[in-house]
Amino acid sequence: MINIRNISIIISRDLQRFWKYRWWLAGLITMNLADLFIFALLFNNMVRRDLIPNYFLFIATGIAAIASFASAFSIGREVGVEIRRNYTQYLLSLPLSRIELAFGRILSGTVRGLIYQTPFIILLFILIDLPSPLQIIYILIASTLLSTTMSSISIAVSTATRNFDMQATLRSFTYFILFFISNVFYPDALIRQRFPGVLYNIAYYNPVSLTVSLFRIIFKIYATPPSGYSELHIIMYLAIWALISMFMGGYLYIRNLEK
Amino acid sequence: MRDDLRLLYLLIVYDIHKIMRYKVFILMRVAWFSVQVGFFAYLISHIVGQRFGGELTYYHFYLLGAYTSILFTVSMFRGYETAQEFEEGLIEYMLSLPIKRKILAIGRILGGSIASFILTLPMMLIVLFLLGAFDLFSISLAMASAMIFSIGIVSLSISLVFLIKSGDATDITFGILDSLLVRLSTVFYPAIILLSFIPYYYVSSVNPLSYLADFLRWIFYPQELSKYLINNPMNLAFFIIGFATSMLVLATIFIEKKIEGGGWK
Repeated sequence: MINIRNISIIISRDLQRFWKYRWWLAGLITMNLADLFIFALLFNNMVRRDLIPNYFLFIATGIAAIASFASAFSIGREVGVEIRRNYTQYLLSLPLSRIELAFGRILSGTVRGLIYQTPFIILLFILIDLPSPLQIIYILIASTLLSTTMSSISIAVSTATRNFDMQATLRSFTYFILFFISNVFYPDALIRQRFPGVLYNIAYYNPVSLTVSLFRIIFKIYATPPSGYSELHIIMYLAIWALISMFMGGYLYIRNLEK
Repeated sequence: MRDDLRLLYLLIVYDIHKIMRYKVFILMRVAWFSVQVGFFAYLISHIVGQRFGGELTYYHFYLLGAYTSILFTVSMFRGYETAQEFEEGLIEYMLSLPIKRKILAIGRILGGSIASFILTLPMMLIVLFLLGAFDLFSISLAMASAMIFSIGIVSLSISLVFLIKSGDATDITFGILDSLLVRLSTVFYPAIILLSFIPYYYVSSVNPLSYLADFLRWIFYPQELSKYLINNPMNLAFFIIGFATSMLVLATIFIEKKIEGGGWK
């Protein structure tokens, strides 16, 4: 039996710690805003209009998805520090079940992702348009599922080793692979045309790409989903990603804590 | 003098030997750089309408910018290492050795920049292979300019560590600097594009990353890319040398003064 109160305590403590990393957050915001207000604005002058009429708005939807992804990843950094400093015995001795501990940590990452992403979503409302209430619900569900996936993956990756350099390198590697092999910077049609087959499928079904596609469909920013796809199809794929990664992340976290 | 040179040599060798610790780090960096140039750069070059004369596309333009940004990031990483060495007490140990402060500063900076250059050598080879650039003189000139640039950046990052004197603050400052300086340079776009936003253009015209990226472009494509550079080739070369020399002198003075002022924190 899972005690919701225990999970909520873990989430609230992790959230308090999130605000401690104000400077880290400032760095992350700077990076995301630099991508939008420097890279996208300048690149907009170089992009073929027949392919992407407004690259600034095209990237803005990508940045909004990346925002939740990056901050949800921050939980992995902290879990990595706990493992390195042998904080694990303390965590295991807490009056919580292993499942509550694991899901509490994963959900902490999810909440962080959502909180951090909110201003970027509001920015999309200001820059593009206010979607319908149903579409806002879709955005909320997709963001939650993406944050859960990323939080789980980063926890699994960070607990795989006790070495600090290896932890940081593995996290960065996972982050960059998910970031570059996605549709954040280029349209799906172009990926399909230049890298047909397996690589296109990897890029398209990448959880970051799925979220970006959903945002682009909702905000009508040149999304070209495979025919017959709707917002619900994308949410279903994101839910599959979230479920699998949550169980795998939780399992690996507990296994590595008990080592 | 001879003893000083020997100590300088030992300090450089010390930093180079440390590279062996980073096998996995190098492998991962090479892997994601390959994804960056093989997937990201390839696709992004297909959405760019800008042509650069002859057979050149944005892909050729960007590759040399991508190398510049990775060299910058790896060179800045020496600053993190210095911060870590301070926290571990290693710098205090080095200060107790019979080595002049000036030699210690210059040795660590030169060692750090040579190590950074070696760490990014696989990425440079990937770029040269993709460009089909096999002219020995051009490659030597590119390597020399990359090495000099790295001296400037390592000096800058070590100076910043001494100024900030905090591991966490160093982490954040470097992250912000990295994201801003790479984007406000000619790494991604030619100077004429930056002109559409004058404040961005001004920053990029004093940004060392712009100078190395454009100098490398001039080395390999002097005809096709000369009108897209941020400055003329002679000025680009002088800027890189001037930047490295001034940063090295500044860092040496800074280290001498700051260390004597009481070390870390």
